[in-house]
Order: sequence, then C-alpha cells, then structure tokens
Amino acid sequence: MTAINHHLDEVILLDYHRGRLNAGQSLLVETHLEMCPHCRTSLRLFDAIGASMLEDIVPVDMADDALELALARIERPEEAPEPRVAPELPAYLKGIDLPESVRAAAFKPRYWGAPGVWMAHLDAPKDGRGLTYLMHVKGGMQMPVHDHQGLEMTLVLTGCFSDDRGAYHPGDCVSCDEGDHHSPLIAADDCLCLIAANAPIAPKTLLGKLLQPFARI
Amino acid sequence: MSFDRDDLIGSSTRMIVAETGLSRGGRPVGVPEALILRIAEGRDRAAYAQLFSQYAPKLKAFMMGRGLTAIEAEDLAQDALLNVWRKASYFDPSKASATTWIYSIARNLHIDGLRKQKRAQTLPEDLWAPEPEQAPDTHLIGVQDAKTIGVLMQTLSPEQREVVRLSFFEDLSHGDIAQALSIPLGTVKSRLRLALLRLRAAFETRAESKSAKIESKSV
Repeated sequence: MTAINHHLDEVILLDYHRGRLNAGQSLLVETHLEMCPHCRTSLRLFDAIGASMLEDIVPVDMADDALELALARIERPEEAPEPRVAPELPAYLKGIDLPESVRAAAFKPRYWGAPGVWMAHLDAPKDGRGLTYLMHVKGGMQMPVHDHQGLEMTLVLTGCFSDDRGAYHPGDCVSCDEGDHHSPLIAADDCLCLIAANAPIAPKTLLGKLLQPFARI
Repeated sequence: MSFDRDDLIGSSTRMIVAETGLSRGGRPVGVPEALILRIAEGRDRAAYAQLFSQYAPKLKAFMMGRGLTAIEAEDLAQDALLNVWRKASYFDPSKASATTWIYSIARNLHIDGLRKQKRAQTLPEDLWAPEPEQAPDTHLIGVQDAKTIGVLMQTLSPEQREVVRLSFFEDLSHGDIAQALSIPLGTVKSRLRLALLRLRAAFETRAESKSAKIESKSV
C-alpha cells in the first residue's frame, strides 16, 4: 500500500477519542486508524495527554467498601466474553480487499444511485441527519459538482479519485464542510469509498439535482 | 449476597490489605508500573490493592468531569481497575506508562458505555495492537510518561491549554466550548489543532534527541 497522504483532522480524531462521534463516523475513523500509523500515533498522544490530566486531578473518594468490593471481584471467575459474530459479508462486497473494521460492520443491501454507481448504507440507528454509506463508482466516471451542507468525510478503500485539491488513494481521507464544492474524478479502476456525512450533499448541476432523490444522498 | 462476598474475600485478603499499609515505608513501592508487573507475574493482591487506592479515586473524579454521576463514575473506576487486573499481562512498560495504560482502559470503557449501554468488559486483549514493523512514527510515543506531557502542556499558550483541558475534562462539544469561552467555533478548532500539533512536534523532537543520544553512545 502506498503511504497515506491525507489524514484525519486532529479535531475529529480528538472527538473520536472522547466518544463524541456517531457510529458511522466512528467506523470511518477506526478504518482510517487501521490503515494509518500516523493517526494511531496521534491517538496515543491523546491517551498520554489524558493521562497527564489524570495524574494532576483532585481525587474523589470512593465508597467505603470500594476496595473490599474490588478485591472480591478479582476472586470471581471471569465470565467468558460473548463471542462476537461478524455479520456475513454481503455478496456485493465479496472478493473486495477490505479493512477489518469494514468487514466487521453491517451494511444494508446495496442499491444503484445512478448508472455505474451503487451505494450501501451502514445498518446503524439513525443519528440526526447523519448518513454513512459505502459508495462504489465505476472507473473513469466523474461525479456531478456538489457542495456540502455539513461535514462529510470520505475514506478511500479501493481505487483512486481526485479533485482540485489532490488525488486520494486507499487509506486517504478527505473532509468537506459547508461551502466546499468539488467534482471528484474517478481514476481508471473502480473506486470504493466509505462516506460519513452529517448532512445531505447539495448538487450544483441539473443532472446532480435530478439524481439526488434517487441516489438518496 | 453480602456474606457471600465475605466468604470470597476471607481473612487472607484482609491480611493483604493490612500488609499493603505496612509496606509503605518498607520495600520500594509506589511505582505503578512495578505494581502492574507484580500483578501480571504473581497475581499480587497487595499490589492490586495499592494500585486501586491510587487510581480509582482519580478515575472517579475524571469520569465525573466527563458527565457521569458519582455512582456511574465509581462503577466505571471499579470496572477499569478490574480490567487492569485481568489484562495486566498485556501491559508493556516500554509502550506506555502505567497511568497512560490505565487511562486508555478507562476511556475505552467509557466510550463503549456511551455506544452500547451494556457491553462493558469486552475490551480487546491488547488495546495497542503491535505495530507493523518499521512503521513510521510509532516509536515516538508510548514510553513517554504522563509527567512529560504535563511539562509539554506548560509550553502551550494559556488559551491553547484551556481548550485542550476543556476537551479532555468536560463533556462539551466544541460548540459548547466556544460558547463557554465566548469565542467563535473556528477559533476553538484552530487553537485545538495548533495545540495538538505543537504537543506532537515536541514529542517528535524529544524522541529524536533521545535516539540521537543512544546512537552517539553506541558509537
């Protein structure tokens, strides 16, 4: 794999660290972390920062019998953790080289958003206006120009696409926010991305506007 | 239920608790890394009692700051330390200081609790999976102890320090932080970004000078 050039924003990574992201955004962050030693190091830095604050904190007394309880608990036999059953990989993802975290996630059946474009939404509880989905685009296609009404993170899983800011390869992450607009161009190979958006995209072109209701993004 | 627990603890545990108190002035104790290793190697209950007394009240305070009630925070501190006992053999002092390791256990439990109400205690065996060999950057952090970061934090501007502190201590969104400080959201984010980049850069410089020293020694 080529080196990752486009990283997650530190503020997003910190929000992940403190548990403030929704399920879809967390999945995207975890997948990037799986692929990116640079961002894993940032996460370790956050643990060290948190630990330094823990060292300096004014302690709050535990209950009187807390230590007794703790010592009793370590005597008890450990319950075997429930085995985690990974959901079966949908047929449309079989044969694609996917990161572990994507394999372990559950996606709904795919649907065709436009000719040459399919999508599959993450099977997670609805969280505000947020949407998380896989998008697979046939090589050589160009997406209609659109801008964004909220933060949208795109992580490349396979293939490559580019926009006016650069080219994105597997593991690379591009964030768009309100006011950003672009028209991604997919390289020769088919491109699979994981996208976590806080709000639907806003198509700029007539074609895009016509397609959006069908694409459900 | 209560006499059940008494049965389990028994008199031997009480002796251990007493012994912990006595040992304070005796053999060198108090180094939390050594305590965890004693748990890993000998299932040392006295070491556990000491570690518990040292960390549980701090974890409780921290989690109350993160928005948990006193009871929830107490439970989380209990669960975190129980995981310290169970996973002690995975602790690697060359990767992280004891405080950093314990903090990361508590953080994982907290996030797990936020995500799913009841799925605690199913942490991965090794929170910090082994890095692929020769991965860039991975040698930088880990060995650094929390105190080092405390020193580095002092190099930040007071404004930067404040947003970092609030991000870790309080259960506030960046928008809430902006409101609390009466500054725009963009300013909160850029202060945070700069502060984190700065801490990371300081880490990298320290790690480099450290490895340079080692190299010059071996020459």
